[in-house]
Amino acid sequence: MKLNGSAWTFTQEDISTDLIRAKAWSHLSPKEQGAHCLEEVDPAFAAQAQPGDFIVAGKNFGCGSSTAAHVAVIGLGIGAVIAESIGKLFITNAASAGLWAVSCPGIITFARAGDKLELDTAAWQVRNLATGASIAANPMPGFLCEMIELGGEKNYLRARLAREAAV
Amino acid sequence: MCYPICWARLSYRGRILTNPLRPVTKFQPAARLRPCGNRFDRRKWNSDHQEETAARGVITARALGRQKRGNMAGMHALQKIVAAKAKPARVEVVAGEFLEIEPDIFSVIVSFNATEARHLVANLTDLGVKDLPLKHKIIAFSDHGSPAPSAAAAEGHKLWRDFYRAHGVQVIDGGAGISHLVLAERGMAAPGEIVINQDSHAPTLGAIGVFGTSLGGGRMMLYALGRYWIEVPKVVLVKLEGRLRPGVYGRDVALHINGVLGQQGALGMGLEFAGSYVIEASMDMRFTLCNMGTEMGAVSSYIQPDATTLSWLQPRCSKPYSVFETDRDFVYESTHVIDVAAIEPQVAVPHACDDVKPVSAVAGRRIDQAYLGSCASGRLEDIATAAALIKGYKVHPDVRLIVTPGSRDVLMAATKAGYIDILHEANATVTNANCGACPGIHGGILAPGEVVISTSTRNNKGRMGKGAEIYLASPATVVASAIAGCIADARDYSQEAG
Repeated sequence: MKLNGSAWTFTQEDISTDLIRAKAWSHLSPKEQGAHCLEEVDPAFAAQAQPGDFIVAGKNFGCGSSTAAHVAVIGLGIGAVIAESIGKLFITNAASAGLWAVSCPGIITFARAGDKLELDTAAWQVRNLATGASIAANPMPGFLCEMIELGGEKNYLRARLAREAAV
Repeated sequence: MCYPICWARLSYRGRILTNPLRPVTKFQPAARLRPCGNRFDRRKWNSDHQEETAARGVITARALGRQKRGNMAGMHALQKIVAAKAKPARVEVVAGEFLEIEPDIFSVIVSFNATEARHLVANLTDLGVKDLPLKHKIIAFSDHGSPAPSAAAAEGHKLWRDFYRAHGVQVIDGGAGISHLVLAERGMAAPGEIVINQDSHAPTLGAIGVFGTSLGGGRMMLYALGRYWIEVPKVVLVKLEGRLRPGVYGRDVALHINGVLGQQGALGMGLEFAGSYVIEASMDMRFTLCNMGTEMGAVSSYIQPDATTLSWLQPRCSKPYSVFETDRDFVYESTHVIDVAAIEPQVAVPHACDDVKPVSAVAGRRIDQAYLGSCASGRLEDIATAAALIKGYKVHPDVRLIVTPGSRDVLMAATKAGYIDILHEANATVTNANCGACPGIHGGILAPGEVVISTSTRNNKGRMGKGAEIYLASPATVVASAIAGCIADARDYSQEAG
C-alpha cells in the first residue's frame, strides 16, 4: 500500500497520548477531538493540518496511557504517523482504527516540515518525493497490516469470522 | 559463612557462567555474594506448605515450561507465561514472535466515553456477535471518575454499564477501587496468568507474578473472538541492592529507576525487578515498583514470586495457580544494578516522569495542592506513612491535601488503624476509593498555573488540568509539602510533632 502526504514534524521525544489529546477532550466527537490534537506541543498544528498529511515524530511517540488518543489523529484526517519509534499501545490502537503508525529510525533527520513523503508498506520504505531519497521503515506483522488495509479491527474481524466459518 | 542454595542465586550465577558476553551495565560481586539467610527457598516453602499447595493446586517449579525443550536458549518467566497461554499452547517461544493468546482476565473500564460505547455495540451487532466468548473472564471496573462528576460522564457510565450487564459481564462498581489493586487484593488474578487490562498500568500485577499488560487496539477482538495477540517480549533486569536510608521509601526507588532508565528504558519489553532490596520489600512497595514499568515503556513488569508473595496471596487468592521461573541461562536484554542506599527522596519535575531530581533541588517550590493516591501509591503502607508523618500537624492553609485510597479494602484497613481520623484531624480531604485526580477527571482537577505535588503515576503536561504543573514524589514528601506549603523534605519533620 502506498500513501502520500506532507510532513508535520515533531522532533520532541516521548510525546505521550495525553499530549496527543488530553483526556479532558475524550468525550468529544472524533472531529472535535481532532481540533485539540497535539495542541500542547504545537497550538497551530490542528488548525493548519490538511487531510492526508503525515505526522513525523521523534522517539517513543504515543507513549503513556492507553487512552484513545489516535481518535484525535484520525479525526483530523491524518494519513499516517511515522516516528523514530512508537509506543506499543498507540500502534495497536491506531491499527484497530485503520491508521498506519510506522516506526522508521532516522525519519526525523530524513524529513523536514512540509516535505512530500510517500509511505510504501509493501517495500517498507519512506520516500522523500522532494529529494528522491528513501529510508527503510520497520515492517509490521502481517495481521496488523491486514487490519489496517481492511480499514480497521472490525473489517478484519468480519473477514476472519468469515474465514473461520468457511473452514 | 554459608551461602544457602537458593534458586534465585543459581539463576544469576548460571547466566554469568553461560553468557559471559551479556550486557551488564554494572557488576557488583560483593553485593551478589552476600549471605542470603532470609531469602526464599522454594524447596523449603514447598515442603512447609505441602498440604495447602496440594489442596489449592499451587505449583512452584523451575521445570514448568521447561519440559520437552531441547537445547533452546533459556526462557524468562514472562515468556513462559505467554507460551502457556498461547492458542495453541507452545513449549518454547522466541522474543519477537507474535502469539495469539486467550487471557485469564480481561479487565475493562466503565468508561466516560459514550461514543465509544455506541460504536462497540453497533460494531458487535454488525458482526453478528451475540454472546461474548470471554464473558466470564471479563471484569468491568468503575474506577476512572467514579461516581460520575458530570452529566456527560454519567451518560457514558450508563451506556457502558448497560452494555456489560446485557452481556452478563461482572461490573465492580464505584467505591471498590482501582482495578490493579482490586484484582490482586480480591484474589481475582493469580501468578502465572495473563491479565489484559484496558488501563495502561496493567504491569502493576507483575508484583504477584502475573503477565499484566495493557492494550491499545484489539479490544473488539477480545470481545468478539476472546483472543488477543502478544509479542513475546525481551526482558530488562533491574537489580536493586542494599537498604534504604531512613525517610526514603519504595516510591523514591521507583522514581529513581524511572530517572535512570528513562521513558524508553524498557520500550516494548518486559521489566524485572530483583536484588536484595526487592527480596526485603513489602508487597505494597513491590506493587509500586511494578506499576512504574509503564512509565519506562514496559509491556509487563515482573518480580519472581517468593515467600512474601505467596504468604500475601494465601488469605486472598483461593484459585489454583502456577509460579513460573526464569531459566538459569536466560539472557536479559540489559541489566541495571542500582544501590538503593545511595538514593535520596526523589521528585519527578514537570513535565516528564523521567526528569527526576533529589528533593533538595526543588525544595521551597510553592504548591497549591498535595495529592496522595493512584495505582502507584494508594495502598495501606502509603497512607500509614502519611498518617504517621502528619499526626499533630495541620495542612498549610494555602494548600489542599487530597487523599484517595486505592481501594475500599485499603480505606477500611486505614480507617480501622486510625489513619483516616489522623488525616481528617490534619484537615486533609479523604475521598472515596478510585483513580481520583491522577487522570485529571475527578476529585482534585487543577486550574492553569496551579502546582501540585502528587504520588500519582504521571506528570505529563496537562494531565491533572490544563496549564498546571505536576511534581511526582513519595507519600512522605507529599505530606511534608502539604504541611510546609511548599515542596519539603519529609526528613525535616519528626514523626511525633510537638
